[in-house]
Order: sequence, then structure tokens, then C-alpha cells
Amino acid sequence: MTHTNSRREFLAQNAMGVGGMALAWLLGQEKLLANPATIPQAQQTFDTRPKTPPHDPQAKAMISLFMHGGPSHMDLLDPKPELTKYSGTEFAEDVQFSFVNRASKTLFGSPWRFQQHGECGTEVSELLPHFAEIVDDACVIRSMHTGHNGHEVSIRYWQGGIPAVLGRPTLGAWLTYGLGSESQDLPAYMVLTDPGGHPVDGVNNWTNGWMPPLFQGTVLRPNEPRILNLQPPQHLKGELQRQNLAFLAQLNQAHLDRHPGENDLEARIASYELAARMQTSATEALDISGETEATLRLYGIDQPETKEYGTRCLISRRLVERGVRFVQLFLGGQPWDTHSSIKTSLPAVCKRTDQPSAALVKDLKQRGMLDSTLVHWGGEIGRLPVTENHGTAEQKGRDHNGQGFSSWLAGGGVKGGMTYGETDEFGHRATVDKVTPNDLQATLLHLFGLEHDKLSFRYNGREQLLTDGRECRLVREILSNPS
Amino acid sequence: MTRNQLAVGVLVLYASCSPAYSDELLTFENDIRPIFKAYCLDCHGATDEMKGGLDLRLRRFTEKGGESGPAIVPGDADASYLVERLISGEMPPGEKKLSAAQIDTIRRWIASGAATANPEPDQLDPGIGITPAERAFWSFQPIQRPEVPTFPTDERVVTPIDALILAKLKEHDLSFSPEADKLTQIKRAYFGLTGLPPTPEQVDAFITDQSPEAYSNLIDSLLESPRYGERWARHWLDVAGYADTEGYSNADADRPWAYKFRDYVIKSLNDGKPFDQFIHEQLAGDEMVPPPHANLSAEQIEKLVATGFLRMAADGTGSGSNDDTARNQTIADTIKIVSTSLLGLSVGCAQCHDHRYDPIPQKDYYQLRAVFEPALNWKQWRTPQQRLITLYTDEDRSKAAEIEAKAQEIAAEKAQKQASYIAEALDKELQKYDAALQPKLREAYETAGDKRSEEQNALLKQYPAVNISAGTLYQYNQAAADDLKTFDERIAETRSKKPVEEFMRVLAEAAGTPPATHLFHRGDFREPKEAVTPAALTIASPPGKRVEIAPNDDSIPTTGRRLAYAKWLTSGEHPLLARVIVNRVWMHHFGRGIVGTPSDFGVLGERPTHPELLDWLASEFMASGWNLKQLHKLIMTSTVYRQSSQATGEGLLADPANTRYWRRPIKRLDAEALRDRTLAASGTLVDKLYGAPVNIKADDTGQVVIDGEESRRSIYVRVKRTQPVAMLAAFDAPVMEVNCERRPSSTAATQALMMMNSEFVLGHARKLAERVRSTSAVATPVEQVAAAWRITFCRPPREEEVIAATAFLDQQATYLKANPIPDNLDPSLHALTNLCQALLSSNEFLYVD
Repeated sequence: MTHTNSRREFLAQNAMGVGGMALAWLLGQEKLLANPATIPQAQQTFDTRPKTPPHDPQAKAMISLFMHGGPSHMDLLDPKPELTKYSGTEFAEDVQFSFVNRASKTLFGSPWRFQQHGECGTEVSELLPHFAEIVDDACVIRSMHTGHNGHEVSIRYWQGGIPAVLGRPTLGAWLTYGLGSESQDLPAYMVLTDPGGHPVDGVNNWTNGWMPPLFQGTVLRPNEPRILNLQPPQHLKGELQRQNLAFLAQLNQAHLDRHPGENDLEARIASYELAARMQTSATEALDISGETEATLRLYGIDQPETKEYGTRCLISRRLVERGVRFVQLFLGGQPWDTHSSIKTSLPAVCKRTDQPSAALVKDLKQRGMLDSTLVHWGGEIGRLPVTENHGTAEQKGRDHNGQGFSSWLAGGGVKGGMTYGETDEFGHRATVDKVTPNDLQATLLHLFGLEHDKLSFRYNGREQLLTDGRECRLVREILSNPS
Repeated sequence: MTRNQLAVGVLVLYASCSPAYSDELLTFENDIRPIFKAYCLDCHGATDEMKGGLDLRLRRFTEKGGESGPAIVPGDADASYLVERLISGEMPPGEKKLSAAQIDTIRRWIASGAATANPEPDQLDPGIGITPAERAFWSFQPIQRPEVPTFPTDERVVTPIDALILAKLKEHDLSFSPEADKLTQIKRAYFGLTGLPPTPEQVDAFITDQSPEAYSNLIDSLLESPRYGERWARHWLDVAGYADTEGYSNADADRPWAYKFRDYVIKSLNDGKPFDQFIHEQLAGDEMVPPPHANLSAEQIEKLVATGFLRMAADGTGSGSNDDTARNQTIADTIKIVSTSLLGLSVGCAQCHDHRYDPIPQKDYYQLRAVFEPALNWKQWRTPQQRLITLYTDEDRSKAAEIEAKAQEIAAEKAQKQASYIAEALDKELQKYDAALQPKLREAYETAGDKRSEEQNALLKQYPAVNISAGTLYQYNQAAADDLKTFDERIAETRSKKPVEEFMRVLAEAAGTPPATHLFHRGDFREPKEAVTPAALTIASPPGKRVEIAPNDDSIPTTGRRLAYAKWLTSGEHPLLARVIVNRVWMHHFGRGIVGTPSDFGVLGERPTHPELLDWLASEFMASGWNLKQLHKLIMTSTVYRQSSQATGEGLLADPANTRYWRRPIKRLDAEALRDRTLAASGTLVDKLYGAPVNIKADDTGQVVIDGEESRRSIYVRVKRTQPVAMLAAFDAPVMEVNCERRPSSTAATQALMMMNSEFVLGHARKLAERVRSTSAVATPVEQVAAAWRITFCRPPREEEVIAATAFLDQQATYLKANPIPDNLDPSLHALTNLCQALLSSNEFLYVD
């Protein structure tokens, strides 16, 4: 194996018996770095070698199931008997509509029944029968709040930390920057896109922003080839490329011999080795043919409605199993954006995603991976308790609502079997223990042993943070180990 | 500048990792106020009304305290109310809290008696203001030409740069590395100045040239190459935030004429335009050209196009977002581009409040904005389209009218001919009907459509064949239709001779009273406060002599604000501009700047590793008449530049990071240079200057690739903000949100996969192989290897390389013979292609040295 330590680190480790960072710190303590002007503060080269977070992490990996469009919380995870009771009457509160032309203030009670489940007794709608089976492992947050009803505004808040602002690194980029990769054979941050197309905001959802591209999400495409440039064309496959790379390694080694100790050159040689390993390991990670019949059934891969999403959920488990740090699944075309015909459109998207999502948690648990893997399920917004009119009763739906909605988390140090926070009696606004995307980001980083106000990246003359110094808090109440 | 200030800067940054204990006396100015400024002064100093009556701007105000009594008890930290409030976390309110190390610093300061460095002023103007300690910061001092030490002749001091570098090296018992070999020198010179490799012939000529001027002549000739402008324009376009699209939203509309600014930069650099003039034109070219902006000379056009610099910021106002937020965002981004590229300061923080770290009051930000506001007036905004200026002259217009008249003549001729053809066809058609019916049909046909009687309409419906029109004439008389077509061709041909109408993307002021600029409370344009007058930043002005900008220059038709500002920047008095520019030039030559943060010369930025060198370069640059080419030559002929990059034992032990330049740092090619070098190697590179950008497209796997004319240099590839070209982005080409102050140099497996498997690299490897094979009809493998090496690495292969490479060719050919590939590629060409691919993917190809 080629070691990628630079000469400098080599000296630090071997001559002084301490690591490079510790050395700098010690030198600082000893005041040997008398003139701080010569310390190059801005790092010019970056890598994804594994890094130890300042605190013991609970979570080592995260899978985020992003539910584009705004799942209708009062029909899924947040029962509202008052809404049902007053269904059909005028809502007294002020409502902010996105689609004014179809707006009404007629309360719209959920057409679906809620029931208690598990030992914890969390109430879940009949639309999510599979999620109902894992409530004891999940924490349902019912007081999510972005304060903005629009999709883009809220998505950017979730991904990049500031409502509406594009071009910032995403949570996945921050985790990769802060923690590096556990895997020698796969990228640390991977994204699974939908056959229906890119999500709203496209590639901005997995951008490195102003960080180096090294921290960008690697896209697994919905169809083969799932990774671009992963495989050589037919005429280069196998032995020929192996010979090619061996020859290249020889060239690079000779060049390195003329430039001994150059960290950059060594890192690049290592990058070819990783790429070559990825050709095998990523291909292997993406190949689910070795999974048992029972596993495939668990994820619903045997049924047409759940086959596609189930496959992606299963792949994400396989990636995390192989050391990938952060995986995010996207949906194309905002299927949760149920403005109209909610009675048919909502069950359809539930059918497509419920079983695979729950299967992921079950599967991680049965493999002993749930404790260290955080699963997130949720959209950027929720929906309004009032009716969006489209002519007939069959066609009615619900408009956007970023004032209050639900998400759930499971594993990775999050307390299971609980609900957190509340919306008002109609599900319109988060009223108790409001949780913003920034709060959640701070909490997620904490679970990874990082601190949202310390993990910084220098850009534009300033130490930048994921939460950008915005007001936010660690939601300790949902941690299994709150200390 | 004192060590204390440096310590504060570092303390703020590293507060979380190590408390910087110091024996030196802590003082209010140097150690405490910066913390207060970052956390407290917003409420306890910035505003007229202090929260709780507490003012923390001076030590004595702090001691006096507010409504709750004294905030500190000098000598007794534990009895100090301020410390109590900080420790309990009650202050500051909100999430942003002081670190333990910062609280500790405050405690120790109080415990040691709460000293000040200097007597405090008797009076203080309202607001946070700028303290003497802040003013003393290194980058705000005037540029002074330092004394250059002298050394004995055997020390290889060729330029003052060498003397200044060597002085520091000697302090650490180091000296220069030996001079790099000639091959390395020519490669550095070519890539450094042109971003392209030398050809094998150019290498031979240089290596065999034994004259002492060989190297100096080489630099001179490269500075005269048009490729030089293309290379260095790329560096400037990074900080200018160049893009061919408007950005702001996913609409990312096209900016069809932005490329004229790109071409302006290339041309200006090639022409050796003095850099001060280059800045004047970009900031205020429009103010140098009297309106109306019509019938312009080439020189005037150049000046107007130059202002495209101030039109580079993302601007969504022409593509669906013409609201106050979008307008103000464009203004803020423009100011950011100006300040980071020219001032080396990020003034943006001062948009909402006094800058937390640098001495830039909020008012200063808006005064700077006032310089630009007459041309970027958000109340009477003009969209990108509305700002375009046509390049059509009156002459063009009359020529076009003349041509159009000719076209109309032909059209009239055609109409006449068409009518007679139709009449002819009608006569013939009518022959087919009863004699009695004929006049009725003719009458019906000849009556205008809306005047026909019901009977006539019925008649025509019954006999549809009578309804001959221009469109159906060919069915009756093909020859006539063909004849008419020749008229259309003549019309089109005539019209094609009209002069093409092109446009410029210009920033110019609208006529009329300039708008008032207001300070926005917390940066929110919905909360305008007092009006401000235009002025340069206080901190960059000489002490006590704030550079004000006249709101209106009566001698010219525009307000003259930007022109006055540009002149101040280049006056020689400005402490930042020349330093910032020479630092960037140094960074591009050495891979890092003398100041490692090229767009942040403030408190949070890095300090210069060689402050005297920076000042000497800046003063020399100005003294030379802002001559950029001369600066390049100065740097490139220095021993520092020409020394070897090979690491040696002593240097590695004493200065492993090479901050003192005991060797030349190695440099990876940037994205554009890598692509251009690949095109040069495959023999496909087209040397064509200027013009509309080369198009891009998403291929069937979704990767953004170059569409069509793919062999032009990368600087000509369309920069679409939302669709960065995959190959360039993978190697760290910037995705333009605003601008790019410094590119990172990343190393990732995706880059390796791209080199291993992408169509781009495979395709060019194939072309390179064909080129190598074509060097001679009967080339042996050894000759092919030699040719491939010379083209890609600019040198002949070493003996062991020939052995290894021919063995590789053999190995591949043998394998291919035993395992033929279905697509029937010639095995020897296939093997050679694979060899070429390895060369194109190698570190020797990707790095200059």
C-alpha cells in the first residue's frame, strides 16, 4: 500500500513521536511559533482521509431519504382530531397560500385513520403501515418549521443552512469535510437520484459549494451506469486496463522518485489506486444480486410499485455497510407535492416509498448497524390544513406549509419510540418545541461528534459554518445519550 | 504593527483549540477590544443608545459600566460583573458565545489590572469607529520601498527579489536550490506565461541555444505571444467572476455578449496595457467616452466593453427575477467582486453591521456603494438586456437600409411575376370548365375573400382547383414556382450582406439626477436610514484624510464617481491595490501568494510571509508604469523562480513547508491548462483568438461536455454557471457563484476515473497515437515511444523508459492477438493508444516540473 503521508508529517510522526496537528499545537504551546504570520492558515490541499471528531460520535453514517414536495403531515404522522371534527368549516386563522387562485379556508380533515402502534404507542396513519412497524425505533418530530412555504427556499435551508441561498456546501459536504471517508474503496458522500429526473434545484442538492470538489456528492445515476466513467469501454476492460494502470503506476513512481516526498504526487498515485478499487468495489456495492430473497422482499423489490425505491434503499444500506459516510436519496418531480387529488396521489407515493423506507431501518437493525447509522425521512415543508380547490371533491388537495410539519429520524444516537414537538390543533403551525433545519443540522453534526459552531471552513475571508451563525440549538431531548 | 495584534488575529481563529498564553501584558486595545468588537459592540457601542447604558468601546467606559454598575473591577476578575455575565452565558444573548479561551483572556486582562496600551482619547465620535491599533495593521500602511540587502556575487542574487528572499533564508541557514535544468525552465516558462507546452522543436532550439541571453529571450518571446493574453486573462476572469450566463436562479439565462469582455481582457494583456489604465477602463470606461454611445471608435468601444467587469455579477433581473432583492443582490455581488479583486478585502460583512474584524464601518460600505449607485440604481433598474449597447453605426444602419431597399425591389419584382404566373395558371385552369361557368368562376376568384357572395363561396368550394395561390402555384406550373424561388434566394443573399448587429455589455450611468444612497439598517433595503455621500474606505485613506469622492464632476457628463475612485486606487497612495495585484501575480507563478489569502488582506487573512518583498514588488510595479509584462520578467528571471523544485534533506528539516522558498514549489496544472495541454498533445488544438464561446451540452450520461468545435482553448468554452463542464470542474475550475479568489487543488478518485475512462481522454489518446504513428510511415516501436515522449513530456525518453514502454507495447499487442477485440482495432494502434493514455494521465503530464 502506498502511504500518502507527506515528508513533513513523516518527520513529525517519526522524529518527534507525535502527529502533525499535535506538533503544531505543542509548538504553539511552547511558543516556538513566535511569529504567527508564517503559519499558513489557509489549507491549500484537502483530502478525505478519516478524521477523528472532537467528541465521541454516536453516528458514523447517515442515510437521508428526502421526500420532495412536502409530505402531508396531518394525513401521515401528525393526527389532528380537531381538524377532523371541524372539517368542512371555515378556518379562522390567517393562512399564507402559494396558490391563491385555488385557495380556500375550508378545513380539510384527514380522510385517513390514525392508530397507535408499537410499545410507544405513536399514532400513525393507515397510509404508512410499514412505518407503523418501526415506530419503536423512530423519533417523529412533529414541530418542524422552515418559516417559508416555497420548495426551493426550504430545500436550500435544509441542504445548505440558509433559506433561499444557493451555492453553499450541503450537509453531506460538511460531514465529508469534517470526518473524511471510512472507506478506502468508495467516495464518502453519495447521492442516489430518481429515474423521474433530478430533484428541484438539481445538482445544487449535493454541491460542495465553495469547498473543493473533493467534498461534492458522487452521483449514483438512477440507471446503469450508476457511476459515470466507472467502467472503461469494452475494448479496455479487464487485463488491458490492468496493464495500463500498472504501466501508469510505473511512470508515476519514476516521477515521484525524482520529486521525493511530494505529498500531492503521492496522493494522486493513491487516487488512481482508489479509482481502480472503486471499479471493483463500487460495482460490487451496487450489485444486489447476492442479496437473499427475504431481503429483496423486505424492501419490496419483488413488487413493481416498490422495486425502484426499494433497490435504492437497499443500495444505500450496502454503501453504508462498506464505509460510505453520507447517502442521500432524492425523488424527481416532487411526488409529495399533493396540491390536487390528494386522495389518490398521496396513497400512491406512500405505496412507493413506505415499505422501502421502513425496510431500511429494519434491515439496519437486524444487522446491528442502526446504532451507528442515522436514518432521516422528511421533506422540505408540509401541507396546509385547508382545502385547495380543483373543482370536484375528488380533485381537492392541500397547498404548501413551511410553518409546521413532520419528519422522522431513527438510529445513530436518536432516541426511538418517541414523538417530539407539536403543531397547533389543526396542524397549521409548529407551536411546541419548534425545530428548524438549523436546529436539526446542529443536532446531526453533534451526533457525528462535531459541533456546528466549530466546524468551519475558511472562505471569503471568514470562517464559514453550516448553520452560518444563525440562531439554533441542539435538540438534546431527542438524543438517546443527551449528556 | 506589533506582535500583539498578530496574536489577537490568531487567537480569534484558534480560540477553540489552544489558549494562547502569553507573558506579554494584555491590553484593552490589542487583546480585549477585538473580542468586544466581534461579540458585544453591536449593542454596547455601535448605536447611539447603548443597551443597559453600557458602553464597551473604551476601557474607562467599561470600568464605569452601565445601569447595573461597573462592568469590571480591575485586579479582580471574579468580582467583575462582566465576567459573571459572560460565564453564565447570559451575554452575549443568542447562539454566538465567546469561547472559553476568550473569556479567559478577558479574566487575565482584568486580573492583571486591565491595562491599556496607550492613553485613551478624551472624546469619542459616535459608533465603533477605527482605533489607532486597527489603523496600525500591516496592510493599511503605505507601501514603502524597502532597502534591498546586498550579497556577494557567488550568492546567485540576480534580482532584488532574490536578495529579499535570501535574507530570510539565511536567517535559517538555508540558501537556494541549484538551478533547474533547461528542460524544466522552458516548460515552466511556457506553462507559466502561455498555459501551453513548448513543441519538441521549441525545446530543441532552447536547449541547444548556449547564448547567455537564451532564457531572457525566451521570456521576451513568450510575452509577445498571443497565447500569453489567453493564459493570464483566465486568471483575471477568475477574480472578475466571468460567466456566459446570468445565474441568480435556475433559469441561468444566456449572456450572449459577455465574451467581448473576455476578449478585451485578452487583448489588453497582450497589448501590455498599463495595469492602472486597465483598472480605470474596467471601473469607469464609460465615463471616458462622452455620450451618446453611438458611432464609436475602436478605442471607445474598448473602453465601454471594459466596464463589462462591473457586469459580471450574477443578475437575474432580466430572467424572471426583476425585484428589489435581486437588484440589490447584483449590486452587493458587484461590490464584492470589486473589493476582493482590487482591495483584497471582503467588505461584504459591513453591509449589515460594522465589520466584526476589519475596521470597516457600515457607513463606509454604503459610501463605497454610492460610488457605483448612479450606474447601478436599484430604484430605476435596467435589466441586462436594457443595458446592452449596439455596435451598429449610422453608416451600418444606412448601409443596412440601402440593402433592405434592394431586397424590397427584388421582392416587388417577385410579386409582380408571381401575379402574372397565377393569372396565367388561372386562364389555363378555367379552360377546363364550361364556357358559361368560366366568367362566374373568374369573378368569384377575383373578388376579395371577404367580399364574396354566398354563391361565389359555394362555387369556389365546388371547384376547389380554381383556387390557385402562391402556395399552390407549383402544382399548376412547377417551372414558375422554381423561377419564383430564385427571387427568394436573391433576397436572402442581398440581406446577408447587411452588417451584422453586435452588442456590448456595458455599465453606464443613466442621464438625470444621480440617486441618493442610503445606509440600510441591518443590510435590509426595506429599512433605508441616512443618505451617504460617495467616498473610499476610511481605513485605506491616509490617516485623518478620508478620500471623499465628489458626488458630481461637472467637467464630464457623468457623475465621475467611478473614474475618481479608480484614479484614487491607482494614485500610488493606496495601500492595498498594488500589493493585491503583485501578490496575485506571485501566486500564479509560485502556487501560493506572499499573502496566502489573496482576497483577504484583513485581520482574518494571512500575514505576508515576506512583507518587504511584497512592498518592493508593489513599489517596483508602480514605478514601472504598472507594467505587468515587466513584472513577469522580473519574477521569472529571478533565482528564486529558476531554482530546482527537488527537495533536499536540509531544507526539508528546516522548512518542510517551503515557506521561505529554498526550492521552487511544484505546481499542478489547473483545469484549463490540463485540457489545453491534452489538445496540444493530440495535435488538435486550434489557435484562434477571440469570439463567441464554444458551446457545451450534456451527453447521454448527463455529463456536460464540449459540443462541436472542441479543439479551441478552454478559455473560449462557455461558462454556464449551472452546467460546469465536467472535465474542467473535476480539476477545480470555479463554478461562478460570485467570483473565485483562489482555486483549490484537489485530488480525487473521480479525477482518476475521468483520466482512465472518459471519452475525452480516450479520444485524445487515440488521436495522439495516430499522430505519433504518422511521424513516420515505418516507425519502429522505439521511434514511436520517442515521439510520444517528446510530444507529451517535451523530452526524449530515458533508456529504461524506452525499455519499459516497448515492453508494454509488446505485452499489449501479444494480449490483443490472443484475445482479439470485436471492434477490430488494429492491435498495434490499440496498444499505442493505451500507451498514450498512460502518458496523458501521468503526473509528469499533470505537473509542470
